[in-house]
Amino acid sequence: MSMSLRLRRPRLVSGFAMGLLVVILFLAPVLYVVMIAFQSQQHFLVSPNTPGRVVAGNFGTAWNQADLGPELVNTVLYSVVAAGLSTLLGLLIAFPIARRLVRGASGYYLALMVGLFLPFSVIALYAEARSLGLYDSRFGYIILHVEPGMPLAVLLLVAFITAIPAELDEAAWMEGAGYLSYLVRVVLPLTRPALVIAFLYGMVGVWNDIIGPVVFLADSSLFPVTRGIFVFYGSNTSAWPKLAAAIVIVSLPVVILFAASQRQLIRARFMGSVKG
Amino acid sequence: MWAGLLIGLGVYALFGIVPAIVQVVISFTNYTGLPGAPVNNVGFANYTAMFTTERPGFESAIWATVAFVLAVTIGQNLIALVLAHRLSGESRWAGIGRVLVFLPIALGVTIVGLIWILIFDPEGGPMSSFFSTFGIHSAFFGANSWAMPLVILVQIWQNAGFSTLVFIGGLRAIDTQIYEAAAMDGIGAWRRLRRITWPLLAPAVTVNVLLALVGSFTLYNTIYVLTQGQYGTQTLGMLAFNTAFNSEEANIGLGAAVTVTLFVLTLFVAIPAMLLLRWRERRLMGA
Repeated sequence: MSMSLRLRRPRLVSGFAMGLLVVILFLAPVLYVVMIAFQSQQHFLVSPNTPGRVVAGNFGTAWNQADLGPELVNTVLYSVVAAGLSTLLGLLIAFPIARRLVRGASGYYLALMVGLFLPFSVIALYAEARSLGLYDSRFGYIILHVEPGMPLAVLLLVAFITAIPAELDEAAWMEGAGYLSYLVRVVLPLTRPALVIAFLYGMVGVWNDIIGPVVFLADSSLFPVTRGIFVFYGSNTSAWPKLAAAIVIVSLPVVILFAASQRQLIRARFMGSVKG
Repeated sequence: MWAGLLIGLGVYALFGIVPAIVQVVISFTNYTGLPGAPVNNVGFANYTAMFTTERPGFESAIWATVAFVLAVTIGQNLIALVLAHRLSGESRWAGIGRVLVFLPIALGVTIVGLIWILIFDPEGGPMSSFFSTFGIHSAFFGANSWAMPLVILVQIWQNAGFSTLVFIGGLRAIDTQIYEAAAMDGIGAWRRLRRITWPLLAPAVTVNVLLALVGSFTLYNTIYVLTQGQYGTQTLGMLAFNTAFNSEEANIGLGAAVTVTLFVLTLFVAIPAMLLLRWRERRLMGA
């Protein structure tokens, strides 16, 4: 009886079969790339599907030839700052809208949701970047990448904030808490899952933009690493061990970051984190 | 409060709304991007050019987009549902599973693209060896019959983790006491899944379907890495980019027209979809 009470959720697929499938589908392709990264070019050309003698030289070659170090720094700077700004601005917009503290709140909300469907207007943004002095600069590249993350941040945050009882605002304001300190001390912790998802989504957006660097950046010392590695691929199409090594180097930091943050993401509840 | 709201809305307007409007304006010109070339108002000429054979590829791009959007939206959500159902637990294995499923998101479009190009390398790559044991030989990403299904596969592989994350969030928000009460009443696993899990998961379904729909409609970066839109993988998003920047006679005005058309199409599909999903949410949650 007590066992059946502990039963949380009905299950459909056996755990083992599922585990095996996940490993084959999601781990095997990545492991294959790691294996290639440790192969010599000669071995790769003869039998790419078997592990050869372990060679570590590819990593040094890739690091130097593809200029990965400075590009990694650029990428971290662009993605973290842009995503941070879009999440923060999302919160500053979402709270007054969710609480209907401004007239026409649903109008603003609708205008922001349209943004979910707006295609990235590269052509117009290029002209805008030129005229605002945002072309070919780190600061400009960051500013240009703040907007794409905002609609989702607002969508998620409005949903979360609506779930926070409004009495909480009133109580805090009666105690004399300022708007910003209320946002930081009360709203921020309660909306953490939404903030984390919005932040990661923003980061992924910057990380995945491979057209942006082509259009907005001319100086190769400003390139993010994704652009650098694609250029490297273009000039080394059959040198896969070297390329695979570059892929591994570039992936390692992001993989570690995600592995570290996933616990956070999951532990937090998705909606309605407050219960009366 | 006002300052925060205004700064936020200002950034959104300046870099979201204004460029979208400018894009529409450009779509009515013959802007080529070449320095010195005159820019004139050409009315609807770019739009009519899309439908004539003058610039082939528009009609096939529509069909490619429809196939891509349908396959990705359905496939990604079905896979994510199954994954979320198994990976939402507290166990160590579920945690490892989540890391693995999220891995492609962390890797990003460029790296994921390169990984799959390597795996489907027609010259001795693992999939090439696998299929050749069945006597199947192909150029994979370089073959008309293979490229589109493979691009769809890569897109789903890339994004299933994000949908899974949202579904897990939805599953976790369901009060476990409901399951306990249902189990006490002797309600079987399948009925609990149908009557409790599925309805209460409706908000997560809405978010996921919309994100997959819009994401696949406007996508070009994955396709750019994998095929550049060749071999039947030129969706509207890819066509817009190729027309504006990547062809012998780059035509930014026409590219903008394709982008605007894509936007209108996306809205025509996404808004009814959103209303339908919201209605479904209310119906299921209310029941």
